[in-house]
Amino acid sequence: MNHEQIKALLNMNAVMKNLEELVLLDSQVAEQVKELDFAIEFSTLFGPKCSVEFKAGQCRVRPGKHHRPRIRLLCFSPAHFNRVMEGKSNPVPVKGIKFLKFLSTEFPKITDRLEFYLKPDNARLADPDYLRINTRFTLNTAVNAVKLLALHDTLGKFNRAHIPNGTVEFRVLPEGPSAVLSFDGDTVEVLDQPCARPSAVLLFKDEQTANDLLNGNSDAFAALATGDVMMKGRIPMIEAINLILDRIPLYLS
Amino acid sequence: MTTTYDYSRSQQLFQRAVKVIPCGVPGHMSPGVNVPAADYPIFTEKAKGATFYDLDGNRFIDYMCAYGPMVLGYNNPLVDNAATEQLKSADLTMGASPKMVELAELLVEMVPVADWAFFAKNGGDVTNYATMIARTATNRKKIVMIQGGYHGVAPWMQPPGHHGLIEEDYSHIIRVPWNDVDAFQQAVDQYPGEIAGFIATPYHVATFYDNELPEAGYWPGIEMICRKNGIVLILDDIRHGFRLDMGGSCEYFGFKPDLICFCKALANGFPISALVGRESLKLDAAKIFYTGSYWNQAVPMAAAIACLTELKRLDAPAVMLENGKKLFTAMQTMAAGYGYDLKVTGAWSMPNIRIANDDTNMLHQQWCAECTKRGVFLASHHNLFMSLAHDEEVISQTLEIVDEAFNALDGGQA
Ligand SMILES: Cc1ncc(COP(=O)(O)O)c(C=O)c1O
Repeated sequence: MNHEQIKALLNMNAVMKNLEELVLLDSQVAEQVKELDFAIEFSTLFGPKCSVEFKAGQCRVRPGKHHRPRIRLLCFSPAHFNRVMEGKSNPVPVKGIKFLKFLSTEFPKITDRLEFYLKPDNARLADPDYLRINTRFTLNTAVNAVKLLALHDTLGKFNRAHIPNGTVEFRVLPEGPSAVLSFDGDTVEVLDQPCARPSAVLLFKDEQTANDLLNGNSDAFAALATGDVMMKGRIPMIEAINLILDRIPLYLS
Repeated sequence: MTTTYDYSRSQQLFQRAVKVIPCGVPGHMSPGVNVPAADYPIFTEKAKGATFYDLDGNRFIDYMCAYGPMVLGYNNPLVDNAATEQLKSADLTMGASPKMVELAELLVEMVPVADWAFFAKNGGDVTNYATMIARTATNRKKIVMIQGGYHGVAPWMQPPGHHGLIEEDYSHIIRVPWNDVDAFQQAVDQYPGEIAGFIATPYHVATFYDNELPEAGYWPGIEMICRKNGIVLILDDIRHGFRLDMGGSCEYFGFKPDLICFCKALANGFPISALVGRESLKLDAAKIFYTGSYWNQAVPMAAAIACLTELKRLDAPAVMLENGKKLFTAMQTMAAGYGYDLKVTGAWSMPNIRIANDDTNMLHQQWCAECTKRGVFLASHHNLFMSLAHDEEVISQTLEIVDEAFNALDGGQA
């Protein structure tokens, strides 16, 4: 896979994936989607596809085609899709033209909210609610991106080869979000459920610490030394994941 | 029962450090490598014999020995006197020190493989130099090393995927598994006439994993392939050197490399490393321009002469092997009494230990932390080091503290 293809994969399955929680966490978006009952398929020529399905106030973002999308949006290349994600271009509706109004007015409101939560600045982060949601989304994006990079990025694959089978839990204390990555042979998965006996654990003292570290604004070694970030268990798993995490900004900045 | 240690002063100083130094304390002394870091000291105030005191006044029996350099005990009077005397006359001047010749002669006499010696500062200086000599001597590009092997921090030595590296740094590095003669033969077959050197430690000491001794036939097999194919055999004895055999660890395992890299235990903590080699490579070594601002310092050379002479007089490797065996077998028995399986791998003078009941290592990490915050400094994921200062009294004190640490473990019942 080339750079733009991997970036498109990340945009779909790590960044857009946050729509699943956005509809639950943001009241404005929740209100907007509560009546929706259909799926949008994004496809790119020479690149990945994914679908965003709304139903009963929930949202699911899945890789691949959708069996019956109401709307199908086409990009001519992965690079085109990536420009769409940056707000610099538009996809071409090839199915569901009559929902153009939804696409031109409603959907952008949702994606604007997503962007709002994913683009922190100091003023926004001062708001605890914002911090909480941004941290959650950043963690989601990170673990999903690690999964994809471990499978597709050259150095990601190299680092993945050094990760023994097992599970790694990321947890933000005291009651922040958590995520689990599971490695088993050639498969890498993000698990929905906490895991009873993880092979390794990376703990963040609080949301601010997690936020700083995951957004690349703090020094991991220093944070470990002060105890703001703690790790235990099979450290080589965390070290290798860390190197993969550091590759995310090469694709998503 | 001893109380556990408080590290507030270390932590306070760390807050200052982190403002002006990347990582606060960078590299292998970074507290970030300890699990959990909060149970370990950060800054040292003073040291003597087998122990050091941190900034908070806590005393530790040190089983890391500064990652190996300390071998006679901290502030050993003999070595320190030799260094101080040298300092009074001259250290770094606009001329070479006679001590350099003396030290080279000592190494050539002591190490059977050595016909010459060359001095630098760090281990990585000489592992790098060794590969340059191999390339010059063979006019070939490729270097074979062991997966998970550590030879320093020059880009070619680091695993791909780490920061600051580019692909070209390791395009001529071939990594083969440890204890696998066939894998080396395959690499030789795949790149006929292209491999300049093979570099490995005497036995495998990959961080985070059990240590692995060479299987019978491993070194003879590697040696034979090197000879048959004109490949320079480089022994990285930086970590093991003088803890197994005063003639180089190849003597302990019965093989003859072309080049041996020494560093850590060479001068009991004074900064110096050495490359020694066979006569046949002396001209090639001479052709390469390789040096550094401080490589001619006489003080570390004087310290090295004193240190090696004392190690030899005391038959140090044998003593450390024996004392290590006493200590760690006693620890294993104690562990078993608490229901734990303490796995010891590698040589007794620098063993790797691990509580093997839990494959996540969390139990082992907790136990090492419990030992450390009671005064026995144990790293959880690196081989430990014995020194001559770890004598019977120190060993007894160690076992007392270790017993308390076992007691403190969650699941520890007799
Ligand atoms: C086996 C081995 N080789 C090389 C080195 C590198 O030595 P230095 O850190 O002095 O450059 C080390 C250091 O730990 C080592 O253990």
